Amino acid sequence: MNVITVNGLRKYYGAARGLEDATLDVREGEIYGFVGPNGSGKTTLIRILAGLIRASGGSASVFGLTPGPDSARINADVGYMPGESFFYPELKVREVLGFFAAEHGVDLARRNELAGILDLDLGKRIDALSFGNRKKVGIVAAMLHRPKLLLLDEPTTGLDPLVQRLFLDILREEQKRGTTVFLSSHNLGEVERVCDRVAIVREGRIALVTTISDLATRKHKKIVVTPPRDLILDGLERRGGTATESYYEYRGETEALLRLLADADVRDVVIRDATLEELFIGHYGRGDGR
Amino acid sequence: MKAIDGLLLKMELRRGVRGVLVWTLAISVAIVLVIALYPMVIDMYAAIPPEFADLMRAFGGIPDTIVDYYASEGGMMLQLFGAIFAALQGFGAINRDERERTAESLYVLPRTRGTFFRTKLLRVTIEVLAFAVVCALASVLGFAIVGEPVDYGPFFTFSGLNAVVLLMFTWLSFAMACLMKTNAKPMSAIAVPFTLYVISIIALATDDAILDTLKYLTPYTFADPIEILKSDYAFEWISFTVYLGLTTAGTVLAWRAFAKREFLG
Repeated sequence: MNVITVNGLRKYYGAARGLEDATLDVREGEIYGFVGPNGSGKTTLIRILAGLIRASGGSASVFGLTPGPDSARINADVGYMPGESFFYPELKVREVLGFFAAEHGVDLARRNELAGILDLDLGKRIDALSFGNRKKVGIVAAMLHRPKLLLLDEPTTGLDPLVQRLFLDILREEQKRGTTVFLSSHNLGEVERVCDRVAIVREGRIALVTTISDLATRKHKKIVVTPPRDLILDGLERRGGTATESYYEYRGETEALLRLLADADVRDVVIRDATLEELFIGHYGRGDGR
Repeated sequence: MKAIDGLLLKMELRRGVRGVLVWTLAISVAIVLVIALYPMVIDMYAAIPPEFADLMRAFGGIPDTIVDYYASEGGMMLQLFGAIFAALQGFGAINRDERERTAESLYVLPRTRGTFFRTKLLRVTIEVLAFAVVCALASVLGFAIVGEPVDYGPFFTFSGLNAVVLLMFTWLSFAMACLMKTNAKPMSAIAVPFTLYVISIIALATDDAILDTLKYLTPYTFADPIEILKSDYAFEWISFTVYLGLTTAGTVLAWRAFAKREFLG
């Protein structure tokens, strides 16, 4: 059963494009990543699903209901976390989360449990919190009422690596309970660790919907070698070059690559993971090999 | 569907209490001081040259009693500053969440837009009514301090109608906030009561028949303290009806806009 269904969804802010012809579905109990660079339309889609903004065209449904007209009913079972969490600045974390718990009709045990896991100080005022700690308040506020669906916009941005890991563990626990998660991200590593499927979005359009296992087969490293060298190794493919450097893609053990480079008489080497766009270059249809 | 979200109402009242207290205390103390000064200003009025006294006639003339004095000093001050307060409250009820970017957390609660709208409107109505009641009580305290006899019938008529004017400004500025963009500045709400106040002063001061009709363009006319407290008073239906209509239409339009309003964080 689909928890979210989006069909030909469009959103324009005046003449500016927010989302262009997005189509996807999110099944019950899966963690679905919505991945793309900044400004690609991720936040726009999540805000439409949360009922904060209206689509310019196409359709969207959550639990079979229409965001906007039915948002009061939908949001009873949705936990939404914006990219930047803002709450009543003059209140303490305890009061803000107490208010959200009361609005959802749940007791404070869950608030205290999540605050404990995330090491969130309930006695601090919201306006005294760092970006990361406000983000933690956002996480707790979204999960207080054990919603059936979590809509999370860039949930780990600004969190330190330890809290990021904790948060992803919490998401997996929620998934075991049957919660569906729809999260946006531009962090491929995070998506790989937690998602079942991903939609790659670029310039408002969904370029590809794929599984994490497919993503893993596409993973490779990008290598720039200075000066140009002809290198031969299983999994290493030359992808062009200039008079001063040559470009490679590599799928294989890093140790073997390092051994090869050590013996190759090179002055400089850059090795990095391929970016999201580079992984799906065929779908995006551009790139110069670097 | 809840008509009013009691929890949100309580939270919003709590968040607004400091601002309401500051405004209410400031205006109340000012009113008490203005009234308490009455015994001292009687002598000053007696010394005013006749030609200047003629000029003052348009604004109530030289006061004969403490109520006359209150009408032209305390009452007008209460109306102008009260209207500014009401406009800021009404506008801020919608605008503040958008300015502080808390809207994105608030409007995803499982409530209809109608519930949010009614709850926020009720909140500012309560705040402005509380302000009007406390300011009226402050006036009574001022009269008690001076100890002169006061006919409280016209005074309470003025206080009641002044509260209606303040509520109209509250609801109109609430409507403005719903109809304007999310980045609108709260100060834009002040433009309405201030401009209308200037118009009412022009209408009051002029002998020109055409300019005199400007009084129907302002709600201050039907709650004019000088008219109500100083002379034979007849309720100004035209100004009242115009503003009742405007407030009603503004609220309906505001509701339609709020139901479709986009919260961009």
